Amino acid sequence: MSQKKILLVEDNEFNRKIVRDLLARQPYGLLEALDGEAGVEAARREKPDLIIMDVQLPKLSGLDATRRIRAEPETAKIPIIVVTSFALSGDDKKAMDAGASAYLAKPYSPRQLLDAIRKMLGDA
Amino acid sequence: MGAHEDGLPLGSVPSTPVAAPGISERSAGFLLSHTPLGSLVRAVARLRLSVHFKLLAAFMLVAVVVALMGAMSLEIITRMSRQSVAMHLAHQRVSSARQAQHALAMQMSFTAMALVLRDEATIASILRENNRLNAMLAEIEEGAPGEEREIIQRIRTAQGEIMATVADVANLVRDGKIEEAMQFQLTTGYPLFQQVEGLVEQVVRLEESSMGGLRAATALANRQAFYLMGGLIIASILLALLLGFVTSWSFIIPVREAQGFLGRLAKGDFGTRVIVPNQDEFGALAARMNDMSAELRRLYEDQREAARQLETLNSQLARASQAKSEFLANMSHELRTPMNAILGFTEMILDDVYGEVPAEVRSPLEDVQTCGRQLLRLINDVLDLSKIEAGRMELSLTDYSVDEVVETARTSLRSLAAEKGLEFTAEVQPDIPLAYGDGKRITQCLTNLVGNALKFTKEGTVAIRAGLDGERVVYSVTDTGIGIAPDQLDHIFGEFRQVDASISREFGGTGLGLSITKTFVELHGGRIWVESEPGRGSTFHFAIPLRMAEVTEGT
Repeated sequence: MSQKKILLVEDNEFNRKIVRDLLARQPYGLLEALDGEAGVEAARREKPDLIIMDVQLPKLSGLDATRRIRAEPETAKIPIIVVTSFALSGDDKKAMDAGASAYLAKPYSPRQLLDAIRKMLGDA
Repeated sequence: MGAHEDGLPLGSVPSTPVAAPGISERSAGFLLSHTPLGSLVRAVARLRLSVHFKLLAAFMLVAVVVALMGAMSLEIITRMSRQSVAMHLAHQRVSSARQAQHALAMQMSFTAMALVLRDEATIASILRENNRLNAMLAEIEEGAPGEEREIIQRIRTAQGEIMATVADVANLVRDGKIEEAMQFQLTTGYPLFQQVEGLVEQVVRLEESSMGGLRAATALANRQAFYLMGGLIIASILLALLLGFVTSWSFIIPVREAQGFLGRLAKGDFGTRVIVPNQDEFGALAARMNDMSAELRRLYEDQREAARQLETLNSQLARASQAKSEFLANMSHELRTPMNAILGFTEMILDDVYGEVPAEVRSPLEDVQTCGRQLLRLINDVLDLSKIEAGRMELSLTDYSVDEVVETARTSLRSLAAEKGLEFTAEVQPDIPLAYGDGKRITQCLTNLVGNALKFTKEGTVAIRAGLDGERVVYSVTDTGIGIAPDQLDHIFGEFRQVDASISREFGGTGLGLSITKTFVELHGGRIWVESEPGRGSTFHFAIPLRMAEVTEGT
């Protein structure tokens, strides 16, 4: 069976590298997008199995990108883990309202992220 | 403002308690505004004389009129008494004239009798009546006018002739010549009598007419005196009323003006002016009141200016504070991104994601992890504080379990307690129902208190307890640490507070934890307090409603 595809939308290089390194030995393919618009575009093109979406992104915020992905029938069903910035109050609720399947507060533990990914993809 | 029309003040009586204008008030108002009395009142007010002098002058004027009336009545009484004496005298003269008439008649009668009776006694009676006539004439003659005096003189002359005739008649009678005597009397005596009678009658008429004239003059004088006195009385009453009205209103007007002025001032119309025509004490008072009003206005405007400046300053400060809070929030967020990477990479290295970690590197890596987490907590605290200060701290209300709160706090700090070799216990009252509130923040509060307890305790026990007290959940954290001095107990929940600077050197920490904890407890409508004994330990408690009201509170 083909590798499951995970789309990471994150603008910070180091945070992308964490996920890249974390998933290096895992049976998942990783796609990366650097801003919200690119994220929506990649989701439409690649139809990933899971999206990890940062909230604070250039061009289009993670929450708006999530809403757009949910609005398109082709991508509406893709599970999205929103990485909320704990800085803004009620971010978790906003993330769920925007259509997130789950959320993680930054800074997150890579272990927690992996658990969440596995749970979402039914590999737990 | 203050441009009060220079009219009469009756229309401007303030709403403050003055008796409702009665009939006298309204008639006074009419008199003041529709008659020259108004100008007179203002003219009196304008006089440069003291109130005392004005009152005295008014009373003196009335007193002078009364005194004048007294003098006139005295004069009238004197005149009337003189008239009464004159009347009495006139009466007497009339009476004398009538007696003279009577004496003459008697004389004639006795003369006739002497012709019949022929005795000496009757003749003597004639002489007696003659004497009486003369005496009366003498009385009348005294003080009689010239014309009357002349008549009396003629009476005397005629009377002399009569007496000569009577003597002849008497002699004829004594000689027995009766016929002759009678003839003589008839031809000579009687015409003489008739002449005298006519003259006496004239005198009587004159006296009577003089008395009548006197009576008429007296009556006229009495009538004149009556009208004069009546007129004077009415005039003095009118004068007294006029003076009373004018003087009193020349004082009432400034008082009314002052009343209106004070009313306006009391309503905050500072700088309002009172305008009075008076140049007396009331005028001086009004000038002082205007000074006061101007001063009040100046003070008021100074104060308003100060308040405006303060307001501007305040909003500048608020903006500055807001900017600071936003800066802090942004900074915290920016700090969090690299922290995520540092902690993430460290965890992955320790989890052997990059291959097995050599034993000697593991320990310093764990130190990096511990310090990184500590730094993250500080960043979170600063962020929370900045949100609290910016008024943007909001609770995220959900159902949560008290058990879970205690368990999370205990788990996250268990390793620290173990490292320090402290006994660490947790005890939760069984069967506490599901709570409603911001479970994460409550957990943060309990974690803060437990973290502090572990930090300030070198040996002994740190115990967590949670239980229900009515509708409230009470969390308690007891330690056997250094304790807090009584005089510090009130301050420790303030921002950036630690008991003293040396403590922060020894134990670390920013002093933000308790302040943030207190804010969250209060946002839940709860209360936090501490009991402590220096050297023996402390117990921190906080009590919050088991189920919060659905309305989320701001700071």
